[in-house]
Amino acid sequence: MTDLLTANFAKHWVVDPVAALAGVASVSIVAGQIVSVTWRDGEATARACWAAGANPGPSDPTLALLPALIDLHAHFRQPGANASEDVESGTRAAAHGGYGTVALMPNTEPAADNVETLQGMIAGERHSVRLLSIAAATVGRAGAQVSDVAALVKAGTVAISDDGSPIADRAIFRAALLAAAAAGIPLIEHCEEPSLTAGGEAADGLVASRLGLRPWPAAGELRAVESAIAVLRDVAASTPTARLHLTHLSTAAALATVRAAQSEGLPLTCDVTPHHIALADAWIAGDRRWAWEVSDGDEHLAPTADAFDSNLRVCPPLRAAVDAAACREALRDGTALAIGTDHAPHSREKKEVEFGLAANGIAGIETSLSVALAVHRAGELSLATIVAALTTGPARLLGVAATGVTVGGVASLVQIDLAASWRPSRETLQGRSINTPLLGREIPGVVQLTVLEGRPAYQR
Amino acid sequence: MVTQAAPAEERSRRHLLDVAGLDWRSLQKLLASAGAMQQLLDSPAGGSDALRGVGVTTLFYEPSTRTRLSFEAAAAALGARVTTFNVATSSVGKGESLIDTVRTLEALRSQVIVLRHERAGAAWLAARHFGGSIVNAGDGWHAHPTQALLDLSVLSRHLGDSGGSLAGRRIAIVGDLLHSRVVRSNLHTLTAAGATVLLTGPASLTIGFAEHAASFRDTPGSVQLVGTIDEALHNADAVMALRIQRERLTPGELDSLEAYRAAWGLTEARLAALAPHALVLHPGPMNEGVEIDPDVADGPRSLVLEQVRAGIPMRMAVLAQVVAEARA
Repeated sequence: MTDLLTANFAKHWVVDPVAALAGVASVSIVAGQIVSVTWRDGEATARACWAAGANPGPSDPTLALLPALIDLHAHFRQPGANASEDVESGTRAAAHGGYGTVALMPNTEPAADNVETLQGMIAGERHSVRLLSIAAATVGRAGAQVSDVAALVKAGTVAISDDGSPIADRAIFRAALLAAAAAGIPLIEHCEEPSLTAGGEAADGLVASRLGLRPWPAAGELRAVESAIAVLRDVAASTPTARLHLTHLSTAAALATVRAAQSEGLPLTCDVTPHHIALADAWIAGDRRWAWEVSDGDEHLAPTADAFDSNLRVCPPLRAAVDAAACREALRDGTALAIGTDHAPHSREKKEVEFGLAANGIAGIETSLSVALAVHRAGELSLATIVAALTTGPARLLGVAATGVTVGGVASLVQIDLAASWRPSRETLQGRSINTPLLGREIPGVVQLTVLEGRPAYQR
Repeated sequence: MVTQAAPAEERSRRHLLDVAGLDWRSLQKLLASAGAMQQLLDSPAGGSDALRGVGVTTLFYEPSTRTRLSFEAAAAALGARVTTFNVATSSVGKGESLIDTVRTLEALRSQVIVLRHERAGAAWLAARHFGGSIVNAGDGWHAHPTQALLDLSVLSRHLGDSGGSLAGRRIAIVGDLLHSRVVRSNLHTLTAAGATVLLTGPASLTIGFAEHAASFRDTPGSVQLVGTIDEALHNADAVMALRIQRERLTPGELDSLEAYRAAWGLTEARLAALAPHALVLHPGPMNEGVEIDPDVADGPRSLVLEQVRAGIPMRMAVLAQVVAEARA
């Protein structure tokens, strides 16, 4: 464990989503505790700045100070696939990405459906990063029998999920929702209708058709979302503590359905991933423009030398630019409360194969903040929206306290150089696996320092 | 839509991965080169030693007769050292990856790998890990560049204007579009040559092709998906029947082979009524009596054997081109 931090952050662009303040401020930390925060233009201005989106102007400082990020969805592959990642490498990667808190999904081998495996999932050198565990909703993630949720909650689980696969049996899904409600935690569901998506390699649509990739239809997500909401509607009527969270949604249709269900007042939340807000399926053909730079019909579809990069194989698959726009809109209007990385490291053996034979997943915890900043820089989302989606939003789902930038608090912060940029590579990435389609691409924002509970987790 | 290859593609000219992005001038060059290769084949020598000492390996992960033999004959006619990699008896069965296999072949002094694979994009993966040239001989449902090139050479010979262009010509393609790498590649070459392409087939096997067809709007030719074979055949100058790929079909995609023939089969009666002068093509192997009747396949309008013959000079042209680019 590192020593408690003592440092002065003079004239930074500070964003505090807890206190709803943003602007130029100086922050002093002594022995890991925030001892002073001085807003240059006063708190009233900082409040107005937050309300206006917390966006720095051209003459504002380019060093920013944000609360340390929180990820509600990552895989550190422990136990089972430590060649891809483990707690030591995963937390190193997380801290490099600006994350202080990470919730790990239970699709380990064996599945984290019992207290021992759950504790093993987060054991090891953590580089001052805080790990939360999400337990399997059903025994062996097999979808046949709900796990012992009460015991798992006692052991610290913050949610249950069979992530990686949906709970196909709707009666079991309902039982899991009720068990989670009784324990006061959310059920996190991976929405996919396997009878529609089996064998799918890429989102159904023009890119898949042109590239001869087996289609994964949008209905594969929508059907699962609709069905989950139908069950939630029944359960919520009699069980007010029920909470359902749909993770890594990717289609405009599914997000519209969630939005409508939320407006009914259902206890329903969702998240989107960095890759689904910023990349489109035309990347598979080699058209590596950000999703917002592409309009429907102007994709470059003739495969380039970089085409069929299996680092783009992910579930749910990357979709058309309009779906990426819908994911960003969901963050903008609050339909999605978080950006969850779905950090899914895979070894070279699983990824350096034919596109359709590659394991699904993108290692994204180190690039998530930079991708979000690219979205922000393009004028697509305010900095306030992005910071909330990376801090207070996931904190709300996970039931942990979000830390702000307030005097007397223990410092959990990330310092980032907004004007600098970097290129992900084997040399720059800290995780064990580098299966990201962003390899070699210049992306904005360089994390200088990540601090959790007063201790540096990463220092550049 | 922009279909030009990106500048980064300069590096990849030593491969032939795709015909997408090849413009009419590049295609004309290949047609002319294939013509010269045909002359070589017809000469007393029957070939040349242009590729003497060049190691060409056919690496086929899917069964094939004509494509593999055609490539091997083409390579031999240019004096290359030809090796057949037998996937069935190789270490591939022990889990050797495609990347390991192409690296091994490189160490064994293969300069050209002719790759057939059941997965889309396999040739791109191989090209990123092989120091020589990859020639894509079919990747899953995606592309079959040399088939499209040889089809173009046949059609251009019969229907082309003095420059070989197919402007104003109507080419119908009938059948299982969904699983067909042949149609996907032919759309690029035929539209670049200026043809009007009419696609049709059972709804379950043409999913996505309305939008796919529309994506060729900025090419010299055009593509349209129509609902019936009658519409597709009307005034067609040529019609290509696609093989019903029984090995790729999933339940529900096709009722019965008899029903298929009745609705979509190329029969002499249907052709006589709708497209009396149309030439007939089929990429082979044929399911005779299903997508094409035996009397059509063997009849006077059939170019099926000419397609097979055209394969050798076109593949010679392709091999000569990729080796020249690799040497450049």
